[in-house]
Amino acid sequence: MDRETAATALALIALVAVFVALEPIIPTSQTGFSELGILGPNMIIGGYPTNVTQGGAVHLYCYVGNHEGEAAYYQVLVKLGNSATHVSNTTSANAPEIHSYSLILSDNKSSTFPVTLAMNTTGTNLRLIFELWAYNVSTSQFAYTGVWDQLMINVTGGP
Amino acid sequence: MRPRWTGVLALMAIAWLLTLSCGFAQAATSAEFSSATNSIGSAFVAVHSAGQDGGNVSGLVTELNVALNLTQKAQAENATNPTQAATDLQNATTMAEGVSAASSSVAQAGSAARRVTMEISIGAASAIVIAAVLIYALGDRIFRKMWVYVYRNFVVRPASG
Repeated sequence: MDRETAATALALIALVAVFVALEPIIPTSQTGFSELGILGPNMIIGGYPTNVTQGGAVHLYCYVGNHEGEAAYYQVLVKLGNSATHVSNTTSANAPEIHSYSLILSDNKSSTFPVTLAMNTTGTNLRLIFELWAYNVSTSQFAYTGVWDQLMINVTGGP
Repeated sequence: MRPRWTGVLALMAIAWLLTLSCGFAQAATSAEFSSATNSIGSAFVAVHSAGQDGGNVSGLVTELNVALNLTQKAQAENATNPTQAATDLQNATTMAEGVSAASSSVAQAGSAARRVTMEISIGAASAIVIAAVLIYALGDRIFRKMWVYVYRNFVVRPASG
């Protein structure tokens, strides 16, 4: 190996070693995200109730995951809408809120918790809308994350 | 007959008033709920800040979740057991305030750990650069000296002899 090749190899090895040494303090700029999932009464995706009686309890599970790169204070709002209710990634549903759940998650942590709901109105093709809100530390208020989920449900009158 | 009825009615009225006053005195008010919620919000801001400083906030997050659960429990039981609801709210507020207070020390520990990591990284990188420069400048000479040292006992003979 001539002197020039040896010097180039040495410089490359030194460069890689310096990068490895500085890696822990190099700031990363990855985009974080949050997860929301609705699970059936058996804690799996499926077996969702479709017909319930007015006032009867609906048992579900809710999954929330935090991959924002920092701790997050979440609020899951459950709203009861219908086919005309508009909800999107930018606009939350303008429908009555029937329940809310709050939780705080560290980065890269998730939680699955039981949700018990009771519907007081009857109707067909109603939408149980689950919205994920997160606490904004700058404004000290909850803001809609744009993450939402829904279940179609028919509520009939009680016996 | 008349004094007896009057006495009974008076006793019933007193009992009703006592029940009413006790209920009002112990039921959790919306102000108490707001106070607990605001305390949790402030505590989360402190925890978030400690996390940004590199502190390990998992313990604080666990405590805040306990406070949140107490608040949600208080909301559910306020109509049926207002005394317990008020106690839960008070505990939630105290817990959140404790988390806020503990956040500063977690943030300091995080900052210190981050500083140590930075010093180690920069030190290691500097050492690598210095070592590379030394190898480039003195490598040949050191290699030759080492070679001579390792083979000092070898005898070189002519191929023909």
